[in-house]
Amino acid sequence: MNSKAVIAWIVKIAFWVVIIAFFWWTISNNMYAQILENPEQFAGLLGRHLQIVLISSSLALLTAVPAGILLTRPKFKKYEWIFVNTANLGQTIPSIAILALAMGFLGIGIQAAILALYVYSLLPILQNTIAGLKSVDPAAKDAAAGMGMTPTQILFKIELPMAASSMIAGIRTAIVLNIGTTALAYLIGGGGLGVWIFTGIQLFDNTYLISGAVPVTILAITVDQLFRVMQLFLVPKGIRKAQKAAAAT
Amino acid sequence: MIEFTNVSKTYPGGVKAIDDISLSIGHGEFVVLLGPSGCGKTTLLRMVNQLEELTEGEIAVEGSSIHDLNKIDMRRNIGYVIQSNGLFPNMTIEDNVMVVPAMLGWSKEKKKERFEYLMNLIGMPPETYRKNFPHELSGGQQQRIGVARALAADPPVMLMDEPFGALDPIIRARIQEEFLDIQRTLKKTILFVSHDIDEAIKLADRIVLLKDGKLQQFDRPEELLNRPANEFVSEFVGEDSVLKSLSLYQVQDMKAKLTLPEASDGLDGTVFKHGDSLRYVLSHLLHPTPKPVYFERQEGGLAGPISVAHIEAFVREMTA
Repeated sequence: MNSKAVIAWIVKIAFWVVIIAFFWWTISNNMYAQILENPEQFAGLLGRHLQIVLISSSLALLTAVPAGILLTRPKFKKYEWIFVNTANLGQTIPSIAILALAMGFLGIGIQAAILALYVYSLLPILQNTIAGLKSVDPAAKDAAAGMGMTPTQILFKIELPMAASSMIAGIRTAIVLNIGTTALAYLIGGGGLGVWIFTGIQLFDNTYLISGAVPVTILAITVDQLFRVMQLFLVPKGIRKAQKAAAAT
Repeated sequence: MIEFTNVSKTYPGGVKAIDDISLSIGHGEFVVLLGPSGCGKTTLLRMVNQLEELTEGEIAVEGSSIHDLNKIDMRRNIGYVIQSNGLFPNMTIEDNVMVVPAMLGWSKEKKKERFEYLMNLIGMPPETYRKNFPHELSGGQQQRIGVARALAADPPVMLMDEPFGALDPIIRARIQEEFLDIQRTLKKTILFVSHDIDEAIKLADRIVLLKDGKLQQFDRPEELLNRPANEFVSEFVGEDSVLKSLSLYQVQDMKAKLTLPEASDGLDGTVFKHGDSLRYVLSHLLHPTPKPVYFERQEGGLAGPISVAHIEAFVREMTA
């Protein structure tokens, strides 16, 4: 075993020790009291949280993926920089500011939260869709066209399968960020687990804070892992093997 | 089979990539488009399957103008091989090779049978490679698969854009030989882009030499070497054109041209057969410690000993 692997092991073990210590501390101090005592309220907040994440990221997915595909077609290539720069700009604005702006349009409530999180999720998906499609070997596309594939066939049989891992990585990033940022929806009356987190901060009460924050974290990690599993199904075997082989050299 | 009539391509801004080229390529002919980089050889090739538009003139494949044909259908009926092989990394070798047959809606049995035939043709056992992915093969194997894929639907015409250009010299020479063998059985009409004069001489029935989009000479390799049409051609074929041309001729050509002395039997020396290249013969004669060289005779017995003077006389005869 080389020193790199040893260090990786030490970091891994230290990480798990910290996690276990954290849970031992929270459980022994009865910090999940809110979940245990108000399971209905917890279910309601969790449901609302998921609702905001689900709607905003699905809308972002349905916009950014087709947009990324269009912006890599020869016809629309020249507009790519406008969209990517606009999306970049959107990303530089703090998420709280976007929430405030959305509230200016739609008032207080869940709609404003969904709008803000939708805007916030666009960039990672758009960026990775474009990057993935651009990284497709031009020789493969040329060969495909030369053999008589239609542009649609080239897109679905060659480009999308080859761009899949980059695209899924973008979607994963967007949704995981989204889950964390949805905690802020409370600030504009959007609800979700942010309600307990901010209550905990305001009341200086760790039982609220932990009962809200830990489920959000677990949710984010679960979704992250779920996407890693999904990648195994959506990225063609040949591409995965090739990536693995390339990483090994 | 492929007819170019006054074909030109002008880019916006007035740069002429292809300048008034007319060629007629016969059925089963192996034609190499040769020239320095930027001469327009790849552009000319890609015009045939309409990957490049032409601004003037006409190209006809098998008697019908390419403008009258459906782009997609005509491409499926023309084999296409490129330098960086362009295999699809997301597909298995079998799926890669069977791309065009799949689009043409062949049955499963027909595809399987064709795949096995093609893999045997290129000397790769079908069962070994069927489920492999392109990245698991060597560069030479990938290029063989590229050729098999182009042959999949048995197209009468093949377009090949420096297909062996990225391979190392030893593998390249071997694949060239293999491909010539395949061509001898299949008799495809082939347009083949190369920048390598030796490759062109080895493979071509006729060579199209281009410079700045203009046709310099369209002729058989030996004519190109022995009777260059202009200054550029003689420069391009190189100072060693006579040596190069020797690799085009075989022992039988020399026997047909010259009356060679009869040799008595039981001599110690090297005997060359009818099909051996004269280049090897010369190399043998120039060896520091030469052995006498003899040619095998059709009616039995040997001709020789052959000397450098015989080769000289033969070259004079051929270039006269």
